[in-house]
Amino acid sequence: MVRGSKCYKVLQARGNANFRCLISPGCKAATEAPAEGTILRRNAAPISDSGYCRSFNYAAFSSTKCSQPESCTRIPLNLMRALANRSIDVSSLGASSSVQRTPVCSGSTGLIGSGGGLQSVRHLQTLAVTPTGPKIIKADTEETIEVSVDGHSLQIPKGMTVLQACEVAGKEIPRFCYHSRLSIAGNCRMCLVEVEKTPKPVASCAMPALPGMKIKTDTPLVKKAREGVMEFLLLNHPLDCPICDQGGECDLQDQSMVFGSDRGRFTDTKRSVVDKNLGPLVKTVMTRCIHCTRCVRFASEIAGVPDLGVLGRGGSEEIGTYVENLMTSELSGNVIDICPVGALTSKPFAFTARSWELKSTESIDVSDALGSNIRIDSRGPEVMRIIPRLNEEVNEEWISDKTRFSYDGLKRQRLNEPMIRRPGGYLEPVTWRAALSAVAQAVHQVKPEEMAGVVGKLADAESIIALKDFLNKLGCENTWCEGIGANIDADVRSKYLLNTTIAGVENADVFLLIGTQVRKEAPLLNARIRKAVRNNRAKVATIGPPIDLTYDHEDLGDGTDALIQIAEGKHPFSTLLSKAQHPVVIVGAGVFERSDKDAVMAVVETIVDQAKVVRDDWNGFNVLLLEAAHAAALDLGFVPGVTAKLLSKDHLKFLYLLGADDIKPDDIPKDAFVVYQGHHGDRSAYRANVILPGAAFTEKEGTYESTEGRTQQTSPAVPSVGDARDDWKIIRALSEVVGVQLPYDSVSAVRARFLAVSPNLFRVDELEPPTVWPQSITPRSSSSKIESSPFIKAIDNFYMTNSICRASRTMAQCTSAFANLKQI
Amino acid sequence: MSWRGQLSQIVRELRIHFCQTSSSSDATREFILKNYKDLKTLNPGLPILIRECSGIQPRLWARYAYGVERSVPLEGLTEPQITAKLEELSKYAS
Repeated sequence: MVRGSKCYKVLQARGNANFRCLISPGCKAATEAPAEGTILRRNAAPISDSGYCRSFNYAAFSSTKCSQPESCTRIPLNLMRALANRSIDVSSLGASSSVQRTPVCSGSTGLIGSGGGLQSVRHLQTLAVTPTGPKIIKADTEETIEVSVDGHSLQIPKGMTVLQACEVAGKEIPRFCYHSRLSIAGNCRMCLVEVEKTPKPVASCAMPALPGMKIKTDTPLVKKAREGVMEFLLLNHPLDCPICDQGGECDLQDQSMVFGSDRGRFTDTKRSVVDKNLGPLVKTVMTRCIHCTRCVRFASEIAGVPDLGVLGRGGSEEIGTYVENLMTSELSGNVIDICPVGALTSKPFAFTARSWELKSTESIDVSDALGSNIRIDSRGPEVMRIIPRLNEEVNEEWISDKTRFSYDGLKRQRLNEPMIRRPGGYLEPVTWRAALSAVAQAVHQVKPEEMAGVVGKLADAESIIALKDFLNKLGCENTWCEGIGANIDADVRSKYLLNTTIAGVENADVFLLIGTQVRKEAPLLNARIRKAVRNNRAKVATIGPPIDLTYDHEDLGDGTDALIQIAEGKHPFSTLLSKAQHPVVIVGAGVFERSDKDAVMAVVETIVDQAKVVRDDWNGFNVLLLEAAHAAALDLGFVPGVTAKLLSKDHLKFLYLLGADDIKPDDIPKDAFVVYQGHHGDRSAYRANVILPGAAFTEKEGTYESTEGRTQQTSPAVPSVGDARDDWKIIRALSEVVGVQLPYDSVSAVRARFLAVSPNLFRVDELEPPTVWPQSITPRSSSSKIESSPFIKAIDNFYMTNSICRASRTMAQCTSAFANLKQI
Repeated sequence: MSWRGQLSQIVRELRIHFCQTSSSSDATREFILKNYKDLKTLNPGLPILIRECSGIQPRLWARYAYGVERSVPLEGLTEPQITAKLEELSKYAS
């Protein structure tokens, strides 16, 4: 297929749009969707780990000619097939800059990857994102072996398992316990295949493929073996599919239909197992458990909490928490997804909907600054559940519990009509016209320098730019974004973004975390760091409030003393940092609000300089932003301007809060006119003079930029509540009433405005890497003194950070369930 | 060079757009390297947003009071010419 002169592309499909060439990201054909039915060659079906899956992204082949053949990569057919079978590998290949581009005419085959041996496709995924220069591995006989699957011989990289070899050959092997991101257990026996010259069927997931192996996947022996295993699995599995929440998306259901027998021979009573209480999020029905141990491996390997384990043997084997215990992880909801049966299901979702009656919308999470890719499942006007979507570069296939379970907050405390506060202090529902003219009247009575606009945590880029333009047109420069500090400088992007990128963090070998509680601020970034600790034996040191990060780390104190010592080279850690190959420094939210922030950052810059954290091929300096709105607000320059007088808030007479809830009512002058635009009747709504109801992230098409600088868009899954409107539209309407009409009438026109302010926000789903400037281009900040006060905790309660969480009953239950546990 | 110090009295925000890699943005990158520090030192409160995006035409934007904006494309200009353009932008009456 690839040997000819034509250039073949691997495409990634998301839902029904956005086909992209993943091999050459700049390819012009990238945005063209392939004509239906003609181009996709194989594997046009969704692929996931169980092989029977959900609507994750998928990879497919295309025979269309690439528009940039010279920059396209040529991959040998067998690897390409492997890639197609594992969509994850493709996406990580495409995103990484390490993809080697070879000219089309350069002849023979070359395996993509970097580092030493290509051990497995799974291995490839981690190798491919290595930001250290690209390498090509020759596809010679030492690196690949030849096996035959059902009579077809093929070359596969050395170190693959029999199951992976079968995947490369395009043969689907049923499995329960095998999961590509977890260690291999080999205990479900569903993946039995026949290998010539072996006395009995082998478990393909645990058997390494050896040269010359003749694998057979469709013989009567294999069929009988699968049928037998399925019969054993169903012996003790209850017949409660009609009331099981997994029904319709159950691996056991699907596979018993395909591979099971039509009758069982078991007539005894089924065994009973006591259900475990894992907390308010995960519901257990342990009789359904088939002991695949995926949840145990997830908890101990990915989440890093050794809470779950296997008890007993044989017929009395059980999954449990040893002693009665909750699952204390902020990633615990993911065990619901990886459980192949209905043993672990979502407690808040229990009995509310069946999977086939839900409408799925692909969207982006806003509960933290990572921009996890999610799928919103809705029924009518109601969000029923939120589950992750595969994105190797962002969230892999996990999401945090806050992302997954805070959706019930979208149904409570919502603002559904404009309101004006009347002299008696009560809020009266009014028409939009009345509300807007009340605001306009207030605007006309104050001077521009007495106005201020504050952007909250969940604002989308469209509403931020609209508010900025609106206030600028009125002559007001008093704008800031809450939770990011008052004196932030948004000039240079590399100074406030996560430059190493979320996926790149995996390759680091030494971490210095400053003023950040990564586990609370960005749980999935913490999982990546944990991965680096596990895979590269990375050393982690923290300066900041003590926290259990789920991996070994050195606590260097909670104040700035250790920081200064490292900068002066007096601390033992400074040698470790400077000797590191891929050092990473992460500055977190505990630094943003400090009065001596400039001085702290100056010390951090010294450390970065001395340890050569930023090099030509590696940028290890990172700022971890806290909220979804931050990166976009900074990119758009929503920062205090020239004439801003931030420090004296007493002179403020008009305050526009775009979902900003963290301003203390006491800080707002008594006579100030406060406009609150947002979707929840949260803290600031109590102080507002006028309330303008906006749309939540599930109800609008909003642009968000993640902390690594990736622009992504949400899509509306449900209609907005009552009389609420899209946020940018409200500001646009208000501008007309005030008399300074904004020049855009459609969402595409607002986005065109991004081109004039920060063009990277126009590039959806793309990461525009920030330019690294030498430190000498920024003037040294005036010598503000560094204080030795400890770094504060930016997040006290992981489950209660924004207005949606605060309205969520599930998050409240989590708060009370986990309040006494110090880990989270 | 006195106009540089008075930049923030007229201009409310400067935005410099360029591509990270393309040669048409070379001069703009050079301009930033040579002038950013000076401009920022003289106008500490002025946001000078340096925004990169692959494949775009380099452009200099200035925002004045009451949301008035002007921009000049920088493609094909040399570093001194860009400085001259900035000076031009800094002298518009708002």
